[in-house]
Amino acid sequence: MRKQFKETIMDLAACDERICLLFGDVSVYLFEDFKNRYPERFYNVGICENTIVSMGAGLSSLGFIPFMHTITPFITERSFEQIKLDMCYNSFGGNIVSCGASFDYSWDGATHHCYTDLAILRLLPGMEVIQPGSTKELDCLLRSQYNNGKATYFRLSDYPHKIDVPVQFGKGVVLKNPGSKLTVMTAGPLLANVMEACRDLSVNVVYFHTLKPIDKELIREFQNTKILVIHDAFGLYEAVCEVPNLSVMYGGLPDKFCSCYGTLADARQSIGLDPQALRGLLQQKLSQI
Amino acid sequence: MNPLCKKIRAEILKIATKSGHGHVPSCFSVVEILCAIYETIKHDPKNPKWEGRDIFILSKGHASLALYCVLANFGYFEIEKVYSFGGFMSDFGCHPDRTQAPGVEVSTGSLGHGIGLAVGIALGLRLKKHTSRRVYVVIGDGESNEGSVWEAVMVATNLKLDNLTVIYDNNLSHGRGLQIPNPAERFKAFGCDVAEVNGHDTEELKKEIIKTSHKVRAIIAHTQKGYGCRTFCLDHYEWHRKSPNAEECEILMDELDEEAI
Repeated sequence: MRKQFKETIMDLAACDERICLLFGDVSVYLFEDFKNRYPERFYNVGICENTIVSMGAGLSSLGFIPFMHTITPFITERSFEQIKLDMCYNSFGGNIVSCGASFDYSWDGATHHCYTDLAILRLLPGMEVIQPGSTKELDCLLRSQYNNGKATYFRLSDYPHKIDVPVQFGKGVVLKNPGSKLTVMTAGPLLANVMEACRDLSVNVVYFHTLKPIDKELIREFQNTKILVIHDAFGLYEAVCEVPNLSVMYGGLPDKFCSCYGTLADARQSIGLDPQALRGLLQQKLSQI
Repeated sequence: MNPLCKKIRAEILKIATKSGHGHVPSCFSVVEILCAIYETIKHDPKNPKWEGRDIFILSKGHASLALYCVLANFGYFEIEKVYSFGGFMSDFGCHPDRTQAPGVEVSTGSLGHGIGLAVGIALGLRLKKHTSRRVYVVIGDGESNEGSVWEAVMVATNLKLDNLTVIYDNNLSHGRGLQIPNPAERFKAFGCDVAEVNGHDTEELKKEIIKTSHKVRAIIAHTQKGYGCRTFCLDHYEWHRKSPNAEECEILMDELDEEAI
């Protein structure tokens, strides 16, 4: 997905001189072309995420469109106050683009896992929160939202799904609707596991690539079903629950750190988000309806 | 004491007394610094968003009352408006909000943010090739306990932002906490072009503010927290976030008249 990020940015930057990149010593080699073509618009600022966000806000105050990019926990959790105050409170728009969210860097341990980013950034007034699950979603949403004058968060993944879904900012997508009494709501690359788990089960599946604003109208269409939010992060469940009078369950993360290493598949399996475990969860929920 | 600075201090006292708000000793340490800045930089009080202006950021936003009184005296708005300080519908909050108060470039309050924004703006001015414009940011010594201050200075010097001047209000406010001995040496070690001045001497300040360099400039302004009123100087901790009552205000006004320090 980072490759797509670079390709889309290269394309946008050719026509928009306001684009300026501030990186935290991540993806620097990948953006070598950009750096060579636009040396004044590319800065590997250093491993200093607070300053990267503050600088982006400062550039935004002069009309530039900054992209602040580094690893998810460091640009979101560590720099939460800079995003809150320097960007949102000051109304200095810009794009926070992270990589390595949830358990993408599973082998690096809990210091590099990040699952609160969507939930905490969703709480900031005026912030837009986007979790593209595929390269197509990233390309479409980046093009439509990078220049919206708001603080916008794009959560990239190195493990995108390959399912082709319609993409429109702020709109959820119904992927299965057999009229079941059970509706799965999900977001991000985990969609691949969800679709595999429920391939021949009679469940509705609703997918979101925009977590803020959440598509409340679409959620309301399923208010008479039991809703199961399956997500490898926090944020979607809370967003769905903003719609009143729903019956919502959460199938996601336990209240403990993942002190294991291994691969993303290992991490997902350890918390029951692999296709087999999800299928068992769905069958259990279906039997209870 | 410079007559304008004395007048501004008197206004700060009156407004703090009336409103029950303000970090008065912190305001008193930066009055000369702010006056020297607005007497020196390019700005237009009648057109605060003028494209050719220099940018000033008060990173230690708790001294907002001093900033408002200085801006009023330089023609941005009537001083009477500032008497609403800290009120519900006031444009003049206890920390400055750029969307409310004319002349405020950046909303600050949480310490250690303004300088990072200043670095981004300085970079932006360079990218726009606005070579005649500069960025000035006032930070406090207590504020400089924050790691983000030094992170920003490190980035600024690495980017060779020669259009940035950091003014360090060395009022020793944090003597009882994490002290920063010899800040000049620290800024030098980070690669800045450093000057040290008496932060209560506007002429000395102005001479340094107009200077340019091929490096990031850092002006260490040695100040006294509460400068101008003996009571504040004797115990600035007690007065850090305390507003005088009417009786105390009278005493403080007398002290200000005596210029007792």
